[in-house]
Amino acid sequence: MFSTSDTIVAIATPAGRGGLGVVRISGPAAAPVAGELAGREEPFRPRYATFATITPAAGDAASAVGDQVVITFFPTPHSYTGEDVVEVSAHGSPVVLSSLLRRAIDAGARLAEPGEFTLRAFLNGKLDLIQAEAVADLIDAVTPLQARVAFDQLEGTLTGAITAIEGDLFDVIAKLEASLDFPDEGYHFVGSEEAGAALASLGDRIDRLLGESARGRLIREGAQVAIVGAPNVGKSSLFNALLNANRAIVTAVAGTTRDLVTERADLGGLSLALIDTAGVRETSDPVEREGVARTRDALRVADLVLVVLDGSREMGDEDRGILAETAHLPRVVVLNKSDLKGSGIFSIAQGVLGLNWSATSTQAGPGVEPFAENAPQHRESRLGRSGKDPRPLFSVSAQTGAGLDDLIAGVAEALSTGGIEFRDQPAVSNVRHTALLARARGALARATEALEGQVSEEFPLLDLQEAAHALQEITGRRTSDDLLRHIFERFCIGK
Amino acid sequence: MPCNPAIGGTAKGHLVREIDALGGLMARAIDATGIQFKLLNRSRGPAVWSPRAQADKGRYSAWVKAALEAEPNIHWIIGRAGRILLDGGRVSGLALEDGAVFPCGALVITTGTFLNGVIHVGQEQRPSGRAGEPPSRDLAESIKDLGMKWGRLKTGTPPRLARRSIDFEQGVKSGVFHVEHGDSEPIPFSFTATQSPMNTAVCHLLHTTDRVHQLVRSNIGASPLYNGQISGIGPRYCPSLEDKVMRFPDRERHQLFLEPEGLDVEEIYVNGFSMSLPVETQRELIHSLPGLESAEMLRPGYAVEYDFVQPTELRSSLETHRVAGLFFAGQINGTSGYEEAAGQGLLAGANAARSVLGRPPLVLGREEAYLGILVDDLVTKGCLEPYRMFTSRAEYRLLLRTDNADLRLTPRGREAGLVDDERWERYGRRRKRYDTNLDRIRKTWVRVEGGARVPAAQALKRPEVTLGSLVSAGDVVLETTPDDFALDTSSVETTVKYEGYLVRQEQAVARAQQAERRRIPEAFPFERVPGLSREMVQRFSETRPETLGQAQRIPGVTPAAVAVVGAYLNRF
Ligand SMILES: Cc1cc2nc3c(=O)[nH]c(=O)nc-3n(C[C@H](O)[C@H](O)[C@H](O)COP(=O)(O)OP(=O)(O)OC[C@H]3O[C@@H](n4cnc5c(N)ncnc54)[C@H](O)[C@@H]3O)c2cc1C
Ligand SMILES: Nc1nc2c(ncn2[C@@H]2O[C@H](COP(=O)(O)OP(=O)(O)OP(=O)(O)O)[C@@H](O)[C@H]2O)c(=O)[nH]1
Ligand SMILES: [Mg+2]
Repeated sequence: MFSTSDTIVAIATPAGRGGLGVVRISGPAAAPVAGELAGREEPFRPRYATFATITPAAGDAASAVGDQVVITFFPTPHSYTGEDVVEVSAHGSPVVLSSLLRRAIDAGARLAEPGEFTLRAFLNGKLDLIQAEAVADLIDAVTPLQARVAFDQLEGTLTGAITAIEGDLFDVIAKLEASLDFPDEGYHFVGSEEAGAALASLGDRIDRLLGESARGRLIREGAQVAIVGAPNVGKSSLFNALLNANRAIVTAVAGTTRDLVTERADLGGLSLALIDTAGVRETSDPVEREGVARTRDALRVADLVLVVLDGSREMGDEDRGILAETAHLPRVVVLNKSDLKGSGIFSIAQGVLGLNWSATSTQAGPGVEPFAENAPQHRESRLGRSGKDPRPLFSVSAQTGAGLDDLIAGVAEALSTGGIEFRDQPAVSNVRHTALLARARGALARATEALEGQVSEEFPLLDLQEAAHALQEITGRRTSDDLLRHIFERFCIGK
Repeated sequence: MPCNPAIGGTAKGHLVREIDALGGLMARAIDATGIQFKLLNRSRGPAVWSPRAQADKGRYSAWVKAALEAEPNIHWIIGRAGRILLDGGRVSGLALEDGAVFPCGALVITTGTFLNGVIHVGQEQRPSGRAGEPPSRDLAESIKDLGMKWGRLKTGTPPRLARRSIDFEQGVKSGVFHVEHGDSEPIPFSFTATQSPMNTAVCHLLHTTDRVHQLVRSNIGASPLYNGQISGIGPRYCPSLEDKVMRFPDRERHQLFLEPEGLDVEEIYVNGFSMSLPVETQRELIHSLPGLESAEMLRPGYAVEYDFVQPTELRSSLETHRVAGLFFAGQINGTSGYEEAAGQGLLAGANAARSVLGRPPLVLGREEAYLGILVDDLVTKGCLEPYRMFTSRAEYRLLLRTDNADLRLTPRGREAGLVDDERWERYGRRRKRYDTNLDRIRKTWVRVEGGARVPAAQALKRPEVTLGSLVSAGDVVLETTPDDFALDTSSVETTVKYEGYLVRQEQAVARAQQAERRRIPEAFPFERVPGLSREMVQRFSETRPETLGQAQRIPGVTPAAVAVVGAYLNRF
């Protein structure tokens, strides 16, 4: 049953990137939850827009996203649901919104079931019957799963994998239960070793899913993009242009940037950490040398590298060096200063990249897979299975802004095609699935420990049931009758 | 006892203990007339230890009959019930088939397999409640006239053999029979038992053979189960021989038990060999079993089909929703098994009396008793097949043990007027010992391996430490008597040893209580709840859940629908 007395949270605005997005919190603890989000002690003034900066939660990489938001508090009964409601308006990036969501959950809210706000509004007399038709649909959905069909289509593979895990877990449970309920059958339904092995494999499968969802989150929310190149090619200028802010110092002097400069950027709906670096060159200046070493550190952690070349210059040794150094990394090559007269470096860069299409086109031709060719294995581990390969070469002007939109799209594409597809509203299911998976994993670990301790089946079963319930919250409920049915279908039981 | 004369077994043994804790007869009856006692699941944890015993069929029935006849307040009318009489929405009396009328304030119907019963043996079928007894047709009509929803189920029983015709010694010597004894220290069922029960009977284990399976297969067309003659649904946990062979072709053999129906009776019950094949085929099958080549078949096995009332017609008191004062109990409600029937009989009887006295019914929770689970499952889910109790039906299994059935239920039984003074005083002493011993164990310090001194309760959490060992080492002195020692140590030890798990279960109970405590009035107008679809209204109205907890358990009902009902509870 849905509880109707706790506090729920969800992204209230339609899926989409850009613009404004709203996270809605409803229930008795709505204001305290929002207070915790904003790090604010004093109560919100009803129906007034309050500006706040959401501070990143400590230690949570996924929440390492601070944001400017507007918080509005609607006390009961004059709110959408009739309960205390807080609406948090933020940048519409799904990444920002899901990060807010996660923090609200950390602060004690529960992720709403689809339609649950409407349900509450309806229960509190805020919607009339005709509007409540949607609620009726919700009521007819047999399981929470069915109510989430739309979400599940987005998350199809993940749910499929969870369903399979749940099914296999159910099978282990059935065998252990059968051992308890039919002790005089004269044969064992499952030995503790077999059960242990089955649980170990289930644990691995859940770990893999959890790992995958962590990786998906990294790509969507925490991707690190390093801008590298020879001195003076315009890295800092590009950095500022992409941020749309004068964050890094720009001068005509080569070797201006001496340290890593990191800034959160929102590119094409993707939240990422953009890193400006010191230009790579041999130098005797100890400060600059340290800066170059840090550039190399950045290369190691970066999920994507933007290699900047100066399009108005001849290709130098430093350019070649950095191209070679990044050849095995996921990268995008940027030819800067396209407002200046070209030097021919463009075709040279093409040559370096192994591209053989015309100099006038900045589009990658079909069948060109420079990254996969260069370092397929690394890409595989870094960004997962590759789909379409991103465009490798962009011509821009950091000064005039020409070509920047293209580059931004290219960066987003490079990050998403390499990893888990970035979709419009997967975060909702993801937070939920991840939390439930983690709970199941914990219970599974306890059950395994109990089994290893040679205790009787009913004790590990307590944990296994807990694991099963967590998974079934994603895949739909099962009852003890289903369990018995499963047993009787598989085993001939009864004297 | 139309079938296997055995009482108890997994989860069923729990039911028997609970019936006893509430003042019922079953445990005392089997303790007095049992001939072989075993504790099932002894190698596992205390929550699933289940006593089982074989009864001397004749003595068991005679014991129960005598016990009932000794009750001064029972007035006997022996006849065939025909019609339920109503006055408005309330039961007003019962008419026998011969027309005699008996007015009453409450009525409990417990007709077992008799409603429109039909017995099948091969092609032969005859109306019958069970072997040798006519079915109840008038009463079936009368119940259907009330508009009750009903269905059809089937069950079966194996052939009986003549003891004198079986050479057990030879069978054992040649290795085809395996002797099964009772436990060396038989544990009685009843909390009031003061002596060790009789435990002398032996059973013999044997196995079916390929030849038996072939015979079944080649005669399957003559089985009413497989030729369409029977439409009722049978229990899957007690499959007929036909089902075993046809549905599990991979199994090379199945186990059978030869069980005496009494100490000095001729009938040997062939446990596991229930079937409805023609008599001749049954004889042939028996003679194909190793060691039974010349066994004499006294009575053939048969299948019986019967009507049952969908228990969703009932409230948790086992009173029908439709007719006040009318109660159903036992197999008529779709259950199967003596223990399930006895438990319902006890509750229905108590509640019939309480309804006449104008007192609230005795309803046990799922967290309180297997009996509570039994009733709750029946009234919320109905039956699609014969219902038998299993420990896996209990979500709070670790709390519902045979060792604490009295601690859980005797006070409830006393409140309901079911527990006499003697049992109540005995309970009082037991409870006091339990509390005292628990306290002692927490306060007595003992030395554990490695030399550290810890409270006995903490030492007991180690797998290798038992309360028995602490007591015999003189480290702990318990308040107990030799008679009570086993029970006293068992419940105290379990409470302490598994504390962590028990606490988790108690927390789960507490979480669920929110929904269990929210009552839905009997006349709640589900159809007036806005937004509920017709399907949901139908499911709710058919089952008439009494609490939000029950509403959640109705099959096919969605969480959102329950939430909507919950929100409207305070408005109508
Ligand atoms: C063939 C068969 C096989 C079974 N096998 C098993 C098994 O393997 N394991 C197991 O646990 N259980 C088995 N059972 C079930 C078990 O016997 C029953 O579940 C249990 O006895 C039901 O108890 P009851 O009190 O509801 O009904 P019953 O014990 O059937 O008693 C019904 C009583 O009602 C009386 N009656 C019926 N109609 C009328 C009337 N109109 N007027 C007056 N009296 C009436 C009958 O004479 C009978 O005494 C079997 C039952 C049968 C018939
Ligand atoms: N015309 C033109 N000039 C640019 C462009 N981008 C950068 N510049 C100029 O190039 C010079 C160097 O720019 P920076 O952004 O400091 O270059 P950098 O790569 O960060 O240099 P270091 O930090 O010293 O390695 C500055 O004079 C910029 O104004 C461009 O797109 N067009
Ligand atoms: Mg710079």
